[in-house]
Amino acid sequence: MRTTLPLIITFIVGVFMLGEFFIPHWYYQHIKTLVLEFGTVIAGVAFLLGVINLTQVNLPRVLERQPDWIYKAIMLGSMVVTTFFGFWEAGPRMEDGMVYKWLFDFLLVPLNATMFSLLAFYIASAAFRAFRARNAEATVLLVAACIVMLARVPIGEQIPVIGSYLSVFQNWLMDVPNVAARRAIFVGAALGAIATGVRIILGIERSHLGSD
Amino acid sequence: MLEWLIKFQRMDRRWVFLGMAIAIFIPLVFPLQLPFRVDKEVRDVYRQVEKLPEGSAVLISADFDPASVPEIGPFFTTHLHHLFRRNLKPVLVTLWPTAIPLVLPEIKAIAKTYNKKYGEDFVFLGYKEGKELVIKNIGQNIFQQFPTDYDGTPLPDLPIMQGRRQAKDFPLIVSISAGFPGLNEYVLQIQGQYNLNMVGVCTAVGGPDYIPFYKSGQLKGLSMGMPGSAQYEKLVWKDKPAPGVKLLATAAMDVLNLGHVFIIVLIIMGNIAFFITRRIEEA
Repeated sequence: MRTTLPLIITFIVGVFMLGEFFIPHWYYQHIKTLVLEFGTVIAGVAFLLGVINLTQVNLPRVLERQPDWIYKAIMLGSMVVTTFFGFWEAGPRMEDGMVYKWLFDFLLVPLNATMFSLLAFYIASAAFRAFRARNAEATVLLVAACIVMLARVPIGEQIPVIGSYLSVFQNWLMDVPNVAARRAIFVGAALGAIATGVRIILGIERSHLGSD
Repeated sequence: MLEWLIKFQRMDRRWVFLGMAIAIFIPLVFPLQLPFRVDKEVRDVYRQVEKLPEGSAVLISADFDPASVPEIGPFFTTHLHHLFRRNLKPVLVTLWPTAIPLVLPEIKAIAKTYNKKYGEDFVFLGYKEGKELVIKNIGQNIFQQFPTDYDGTPLPDLPIMQGRRQAKDFPLIVSISAGFPGLNEYVLQIQGQYNLNMVGVCTAVGGPDYIPFYKSGQLKGLSMGMPGSAQYEKLVWKDKPAPGVKLLATAAMDVLNLGHVFIIVLIIMGNIAFFITRRIEEA
């Protein structure tokens, strides 16, 4: 029963949601909206599960002083403090003067921005080490990367003679080979998603139930 | 010579970091202000806004975080100026909890400069968790997904929401997206199903993913990263911003200039060293 009931629910909901595209009747669409709303509520509840899971995984490691326990302690501490002030200062609205807003403006914003900014430095270092014309494929990649990088900034357009051609070639690279490759990936991924969806609806794929 | 070339190829990455820092710092002190062109994708975003009749509402999904603000924040700001200047009505939602403190003060401050009234000329519906499910519901029934706005006012009581119950009631949808959930999910979940008129704004790294949507006509316009934001600023302000408005993306283009050139010079020097080393070793 523990397996059969979820399989039946999955089958009914899966087939019902597929019907949305073929049955325009208002009542069917109304029920579909309700089902979607259930989904939103479940997604909200999943946050709570996430908090419990995070605590279950990290708290024992902090208590046992396992390697890197200090980072896990900071993470758990940040979660508790932010959640506390989030609730204490009345709901989701953020206004100046709130501790919750202060935490966002002076901790999350600079930390988040710093993490992303570091990418520029790491990409520079990685490009220097990885972009070597060792063979024909690597050379094509290298030349394409340099053209796109140069043509995407104003200084590339200012290069005498080749400046205008760089932009044309960059557009071609982005519009033709890039689009062709992306479309191939999209179509492949979509077919894979359809196949997986059908397998889940029919109960052939059961990994989401925790079994093989 | 050989030893020096090998050392150069294996140099401590902190030297690269230092070089990059200098490349970023120089244009901040000595701006180059080089002219740049406007791509067709960005011009199309601008045209979509320009062709809307006055009083139309535009649904904006602002899905970004502090990390992506330097790239797409300037677009968001300029877009609000563009909409208010043309007497269009932005209806804002977000699927990212970190976006709320970034977008709400911004729209309130800009609306004030144009004497726009909350609830009539603009509204912020707030954040909802649920990712694709929320997008799906926006396509089907916004009132059910957002029973109230961010301030708790029921949607039916807001003049701006009269007659606008679902995504297809908006003549233009703008997805300003730094990742998941965002532009990709809007296109997959509702753009095709309801044939929505939609434009996209994304980070530079996400750009190549969305070009196929633009090419197929699913997106009517596309702004990618900081260059896209700078080009949009150029179109909206024509190099003469209103008093107090800073063209942040345009200013940041100088940093991109030298940053990109530095990486290209590094790659070229690395390859020259690689080839000379290989030739000497082979000889």
